[in-house]
Amino acid sequence: MAKIVVVTSGKGGVGKTTTSAAFASGLAMRGYRTAVIDFDVGLRNLDLVMGCERRVVYDFINVIQGEARLQQALIRDRMLDKLFILPTSQTRDKEALTAEGVARVMDELHGEFDYVICDSPAGIETGALRALYHADEAIVVTNPEVSSVRDSDRILGILAARSRRAEEGKEPVREHLLLTRYAPRRVQGGEMLSLDDVKELLRIPLLGVIPESETILQASNQGIPAIHMKGSEVATAYEDVVARFLGEEKPLRFVQPEKPGFLKRLFGG
Amino acid sequence: MTEDHAGKPSHLRLSGGVFTLSVLRLESLDPAQLESQLKTPENALRFLRNAPIVLDLLQLPDQPLPLRPWMDILRAAGCFPVGVRNASVAQEEAAAAMGLPHLRGRELEPARQETPGGAPASMAPNEVQEGGSTGPGQILRHPMRSGQRHYARNKDLVCLAAVNAGAEVLADGHLHVYAPLRGRALAGVMGEERSRIFCASLEAELVAIAGIYAMPDPDHPLWGKPAEIALQGEQLRIMPLGT
Repeated sequence: MAKIVVVTSGKGGVGKTTTSAAFASGLAMRGYRTAVIDFDVGLRNLDLVMGCERRVVYDFINVIQGEARLQQALIRDRMLDKLFILPTSQTRDKEALTAEGVARVMDELHGEFDYVICDSPAGIETGALRALYHADEAIVVTNPEVSSVRDSDRILGILAARSRRAEEGKEPVREHLLLTRYAPRRVQGGEMLSLDDVKELLRIPLLGVIPESETILQASNQGIPAIHMKGSEVATAYEDVVARFLGEEKPLRFVQPEKPGFLKRLFGG
Repeated sequence: MTEDHAGKPSHLRLSGGVFTLSVLRLESLDPAQLESQLKTPENALRFLRNAPIVLDLLQLPDQPLPLRPWMDILRAAGCFPVGVRNASVAQEEAAAAMGLPHLRGRELEPARQETPGGAPASMAPNEVQEGGSTGPGQILRHPMRSGQRHYARNKDLVCLAAVNAGAEVLADGHLHVYAPLRGRALAGVMGEERSRIFCASLEAELVAIAGIYAMPDPDHPLWGKPAEIALQGEQLRIMPLGT
């Protein structure tokens, strides 16, 4: 039976799709059968980040509307054979995500996969509500910045009130904080909120910190989930996130500013 | 079904009941003024959705009342006018013709303790605490997050987790927040001036008691500290908790 995880934030551009792609890949690398679904109807990006945009024939909306079977729309990942992508439509809008249709697809995925990752659109409209409705767990992606924290807080409130678990009076959705685009140096300079500030404001368990990095841009431009950028800080950070999600203990990394090297100290940075 | 004294079956049974009603004191005969008042964001009537209310005419001159437009405006705002009070004889007749009975409720002295069962037929909102209070306050255990709002009607509200920025908590009685208060907190929203706000850490966007509000800023000496807020005269007083 699949566990359903929503990757959400409220605010746009904080790293939901990057995280969905890396996190889903990380689970598949660990041997779990994983599906990742793009809920951002009309602005499809996940297939680009996953590098499968040229293989999209049928999409999530086609399945919802009964124009294709789920098996026809699921795309097997290039690199990981346990990972499947369910892309969304570029030409429809979010109203096409009917509650019944999404529930039907979720039901079908439930029996086939270990994890279903829902990549939520920004905002708090239909698309975001549908993406979080079925969630068992939520990864709330937040940047160390006041408006992002406020939007994450809003989304946490919606998760607590409008998810299926809330409506059915079940155990609440398990919440995880993922702090992305974190630049310890800028935190030190007072330009960014610190990890402790964000934890204090949102008060949910921390899943990890992803450092701000050029690697992310390179990875998404090449259509490679960032977790595959071997040896990079970002890949290591995402590997840690997956490990913690699966219950392993991992110390936090990349939260202290890098110490300048000997030469840099000598000649100035 | 009961039988009346003549032995015929009766489908009616008359019994008494005591109800708490909110009273709206009208201060102008101009319906447009009522309408514009209802449109202000801080008007208390938004908490009275589907609630019966009594129109208090004490402040008005003995003139014909624009009852029809008032009723339309109030119903559009989601309230149900059920009667009038402090009406003159002529006003009483006009109201009765509109289906609004004249209620002879007493105004309570704030210090007076009302014994159960002796509650008057109509009570102004600021009497609710004394005469119509309904049990212990309400307890919220989960954090109140941005965009969420919680209103404890006729009660105190106790928040055990943070009230975050962009959230709003309201109570007719006191408000207790045993965690950081970062959002908006409104106590005594139906006009109870003796309501207070207590919080473990004052970081609020807005605090209000009986409609008088303040927006504390981070320079306040009690910012981030435990605080108690009370209404004194026309001003809010913010003091350290426990003094």
